[in-house]
Amino acid sequence: MDQPASIETPLKKQRRKLTRMEGHNLRVGLLFISPWIVGFLIFNLYPMVMSLYYSFTDFQGILASQQTWYANYAAMFRDERFWNAVKNTIYMVIIAVPLNLIFSLLCAILLNLKVRGQSFYRVIFFLPSIVPAIAATMLWIWILKPDNGLLSTVLSWFGVHSPNWFLDPLWSKPALILMGIWGIGGTIIIYLSGLQDVSQTLLESAELDGANWWNRLKNITIPMVSPITLFNLITGVIFMFQYFSQAYVFARFASVGKVEIIVGRPMDSTLFYSVFLYDKFTNFRYGYASAMAWVLFIVILLCTIALLKASNRFTYYAG
Amino acid sequence: MKKALPLFSVLMVFAFLLAACGGGAPAAAEKPEKMTVWIQWGDNPAQLQELFNKFGEANGVKVEVTAPVEVDKIVTALNSSTPPDVLILSGGDLVKSYDAQGFVEPLNDIIKTSDIDLADFYAAPLKTCQMGETYLCLPWGHDIYALFWNKDMFKAAGLDPEKPPKTLDELVAMSKQLTKMDADGNITQAGFIPDFSWGHIDLYDQRFNGSWYNADGTELTVNSDAVVNAMKWEQQFYCDGIKPQQLLDFVATGGDYMASEQLFYAGKTAFQVDGEWQVGPNFIPAIAPSLNYGITAFPVDTGNPDKEGSGVVQGTVVLIPSKAANKEWSGKLLNWMVSPDIVAEEFSYNANLPTSKKAAEDPRFAEIKGFDTFINIMANPASTEFTTSPIQQELTDEMGVVEEKVLRECADPKPLLDEVQAKFAPLLAESLKQ
Repeated sequence: MDQPASIETPLKKQRRKLTRMEGHNLRVGLLFISPWIVGFLIFNLYPMVMSLYYSFTDFQGILASQQTWYANYAAMFRDERFWNAVKNTIYMVIIAVPLNLIFSLLCAILLNLKVRGQSFYRVIFFLPSIVPAIAATMLWIWILKPDNGLLSTVLSWFGVHSPNWFLDPLWSKPALILMGIWGIGGTIIIYLSGLQDVSQTLLESAELDGANWWNRLKNITIPMVSPITLFNLITGVIFMFQYFSQAYVFARFASVGKVEIIVGRPMDSTLFYSVFLYDKFTNFRYGYASAMAWVLFIVILLCTIALLKASNRFTYYAG
Repeated sequence: MKKALPLFSVLMVFAFLLAACGGGAPAAAEKPEKMTVWIQWGDNPAQLQELFNKFGEANGVKVEVTAPVEVDKIVTALNSSTPPDVLILSGGDLVKSYDAQGFVEPLNDIIKTSDIDLADFYAAPLKTCQMGETYLCLPWGHDIYALFWNKDMFKAAGLDPEKPPKTLDELVAMSKQLTKMDADGNITQAGFIPDFSWGHIDLYDQRFNGSWYNADGTELTVNSDAVVNAMKWEQQFYCDGIKPQQLLDFVATGGDYMASEQLFYAGKTAFQVDGEWQVGPNFIPAIAPSLNYGITAFPVDTGNPDKEGSGVVQGTVVLIPSKAANKEWSGKLLNWMVSPDIVAEEFSYNANLPTSKKAAEDPRFAEIKGFDTFINIMANPASTEFTTSPIQQELTDEMGVVEEKVLRECADPKPLLDEVQAKFAPLLAESLKQ
């Protein structure tokens, strides 16, 4: 039986030989991107493939490793500290990400108002986001010091007793969230660009129809910036799953008067997934750490897909 | 001629290969142009560089000192083909972990062929570096902890300022007597805080005749009665008559370790377990010169009086990386470093314990007020080394978490330590197989 022509034709097209010029262009193109290809193969793909392999071994450094199959994964799921790290990370994803989005949008709305000196205010709000994470955390440790920190001093003027941000497991994560909110300048800028694209015609029409500020915000502005919200949400979730620097420094320096280093202090309340992964890595448990990294990769991938799928319900693309 | 050229080339290659593989008596290693020394701590890198320049000048070698160096960088360097010639670590706890990875050169041969006199080392620090009959490192200045007490606070509380506690029970009783609260229940002055400025589980375990490992470090014993009892003893300071949060809120009022607001310096805590460097020029004499204090060996458990006057030593160790480029010269440098003169010079400067007995006789140590107490504790036959294993770092993390739960949640230590034992005993067995 003859193949239908409609199938045969594209196949033939695919097999068509490249012209001399096309071949030349392809070779030149590949040559130009070859530094990236080589870099990707050596520094990205190879480590990824090896980390997958090591996750099924007891690799601890330079000695030959033994195949342990799923032992690292089983040990991980049995480890109470692993689940502490998971819980703390989920806490940050659920609490910190929405708070960052809400505050970013509110700040962006304020910075979008036509007031005098707006450029100055925009710079002021953006500046904290360019402070390196470690420096910002050190700064906040100084601000939050319960005894003589800036915040506790200000609170004491109003007769409010400062929480023990560093030694009380109940307050350590809120302290980190507070630090995070201070550095939302990047998210604000992205929201600001979205707000400037919101149709003025729509807003003016709504105003003429009697819609107040809240109704215009709820029914026009927020839906119109929903693609920006989706972007910020996905990048925020990914960032929180990989949350590391601030927590590591916090636990290291925040224990007042203490000099020993135990990640996750106090009481494992700042033991986040990436912090725990790093801890395993520095303890030569490369197999275990690789297994953790792959679980994290899969979780982030699934979350991103789920958010993209769910975004149909809350994202509006004008036009 | 054209045909002869390839044949000649092949013969030349063979000749070079044969020369490279040639036997005969081993020649003395060539003197390197430059040697590198990495020091994990390093409060004063310029002074350390000056010290090592003396070796360089005497031997015509440039010695480059890098200090301080983070652990992450050390791990990477040990795994590379260009590690430092000599590595100085802050403690012996990492050495066995590194050795399990094949990063450490055993020193037995170097010791045999050098002037290093093992009898000149104090016994307890030397054990830190031993794994069976193998010496993985050599101690180079060590630390030991003692109990500091504030004599003025003793007087104010009606206690004899010259009579510190002799037993653990006396320490508990005195601590309660020295603790003060305001009308709102806030602690304004504390007696003893067992995990301040940092944890001393090893010392408390030793007082109850316990340890995390058996004698040769091959079995885990973290859920032994001694370790459980030591944690229960610690727990009293957080959970007996007060709530842990009260003490934590008080701790939060203190400044950093080297700040005058630090609780002991500021006269807010009556006791502190701390090391010999506190009496050196950079700590109490510089930060709290008017502090009226005394130093004594940590009190003993009445059931284990043989521990009186002893302590647990830990501190700086020197090792040679297995991939060091010129091990003969690394050995020469090590030999120079552990010689009594150099040990005395370096550790009298930093006020750390000299690990050489001859060095301890140096008059510079006698000039440091209170330093003899620490030397006597180290020399005490009941003093022990801080036993470690290849899983030390991970176990220390886990024990720190258990200590936090026991002190801050008033949790029963037994089930928590049973869990640690169940989790880490197989890991230790596995690590020792390698």
